[in-house]
Amino acid sequence: MKKLVIFSLAIILVFSFAVSCKKKPKEVPPPPPQAQEQPTVEKVEPPVVQEPQLTEEEFFLQKSLDQINREKPLGTVYFDYDKALIRGDAKATLDTNASWLKRFRTVKVLVEGHCDERGTEEYNLALGEKRAKSAQDYLLSMGIGSDRMKIISYGKSQSINPGHDEAAWQMNRRAQFLVIEK
Amino acid sequence: MTKKKTLLGLLVFLAASGVFAQQEVVLKISEGMPMILLALPEFVVRSASPLALAAAQEIRQTLSDDVKYSRIFKLLPKDYYGYIRPLNPDKIFFKDWDSVQARLLVIGEVREDGGRVVFDGKIYDVKSERFIVGKRYQAEKNGLRLVAHKMADELLKLHGEKPIFTTKIAFVSNRDGNDEIYMMDYDGAGQTRITFNKIKDYMPAWSPDQRTIAFTSYRGGNAGLYLRNIYEGTETQITTKGTSYSAAFSPDGKKLAFCSTMAEEGNADIFVYDLESRKTKRLTFNAAIETAPSWSPTGREIAFTTDRLGAGSPQIYIMDAEGSNVRKASFGGNYHDAPAWAPTSERIAFVSRVDNTFDIYILNLRTNQITKLTENNVRNESPSWSPDGRHVVFASNLSGSIQLYTVDYDGANLRRLTDRGENKLPNWTN
Repeated sequence: MKKLVIFSLAIILVFSFAVSCKKKPKEVPPPPPQAQEQPTVEKVEPPVVQEPQLTEEEFFLQKSLDQINREKPLGTVYFDYDKALIRGDAKATLDTNASWLKRFRTVKVLVEGHCDERGTEEYNLALGEKRAKSAQDYLLSMGIGSDRMKIISYGKSQSINPGHDEAAWQMNRRAQFLVIEK
Repeated sequence: MTKKKTLLGLLVFLAASGVFAQQEVVLKISEGMPMILLALPEFVVRSASPLALAAAQEIRQTLSDDVKYSRIFKLLPKDYYGYIRPLNPDKIFFKDWDSVQARLLVIGEVREDGGRVVFDGKIYDVKSERFIVGKRYQAEKNGLRLVAHKMADELLKLHGEKPIFTTKIAFVSNRDGNDEIYMMDYDGAGQTRITFNKIKDYMPAWSPDQRTIAFTSYRGGNAGLYLRNIYEGTETQITTKGTSYSAAFSPDGKKLAFCSTMAEEGNADIFVYDLESRKTKRLTFNAAIETAPSWSPTGREIAFTTDRLGAGSPQIYIMDAEGSNVRKASFGGNYHDAPAWAPTSERIAFVSRVDNTFDIYILNLRTNQITKLTENNVRNESPSWSPDGRHVVFASNLSGSIQLYTVDYDGANLRRLTDRGENKLPNWTN
């Protein structure tokens, strides 16, 4: 549409110019006056952009959520069979997670609870949520705001080790963290 | 005629003539009684077209399979047909059929009518030499199995049973990438995908009218409860907060029991959603896990799982449908879950974990006896009853991968229904 308008305007211009030319064919507009002054020579140099010294936070904010999660900044915690209590070894991991969350104060995380295959679908879904809640509660007690954490349970449907032995089961009974906002 | 029937290419009508008039004859026998011997002679093909011939073959084969599956009727052994005169549908010699012990005689006639198959099925009582039920079905080629299933359901109705052969099993499969909802016929035929997305959809539960599936989906960022009318394609979100799952329709279809953490973050309790008033009522108030609700056939009670006696040790309890009168039902083990109340009786199928194996057991509430339904040292899970309470569908990793199987109430007749991808969380309409 726009093109059509421009095109027709151009035709009208050309036409009216042609008409005016016909009327005064001999009249030629005078050429514009030539600039006579010599320009002063200017030395052109692109300004050197000073490489900014990024703070750790600025550097962090430059990354995408995918990148951040690939680096696994938050440690996974593991649970005992049929239990949702935070173990001693998990406390150390959660303390580290808490200090990381205190460093990057804008970050929000999803705490996912998972189970091993040795439970029924229904009970495991509930147990996974209890595990996520335990991990979240521990972080709350470390001073991380409740608005920065959400929990979800996947029951036994997202195992990370497909094996059927104690080592595999232990790896699958876990709460893991996903950065969902920065 | 509804859209559904058009889609299935099936037209069903009862002929109004006296020959087809329905009579009130109900044969009633109890479980464990000898099965009724049923004669199903070769169908009479009235038009000499390949379509009619093939249709007669397919309908009779499917009907035979249904009859064998029923646990109520038994097919007359093949060689018995040789002892008597061949069937003349216009003049039946009932004495012949009586002489080979047949109690019911099912006669089928097939013809082609303008590219469609017309099937006439008639059921006779041999002893009284009486016509009992007649049906005429018209179908396209893709509706022939359904014709056979409908005829088989007529046999069940005659016996005072809920039809099962036209019912569907909903389940979860990852065959197309991620967990999505599917459905299939009772025998594993016609596997059809119902939800289409890249986000996990699971734990389906049928409405009693077989038109709506309640399920849990992670599409909202949490695990919310949704209803999908599979024939209209409409979807309703029931819960928005917390994790909500393990839905179960009440037998009258008016209520939806489920478990959810909507009231207390991280702690699952039982809720009931009223589909008319759209109000949700909380039934359990406990810091322990409460999950897996299952309605009694009357709708007056709900069986569920709780670990209130010890974390990590779920047990099956029963409460009144309003949440009162809570009592423990399971005993003898330390891990019982997934109760499924039989739609016809006071029996509850459930899963029990012993060491690292999961088996399905049946608890008889009247006698307090427990019988073991599966025994194969693997993980057998998620039992769901057929509408007539004679069969149980469940998920098992018997073959290495998780697949769906059905088994009869007494452990007989184990049969595998699925093989593509992993398949779990079956739910049979009832």
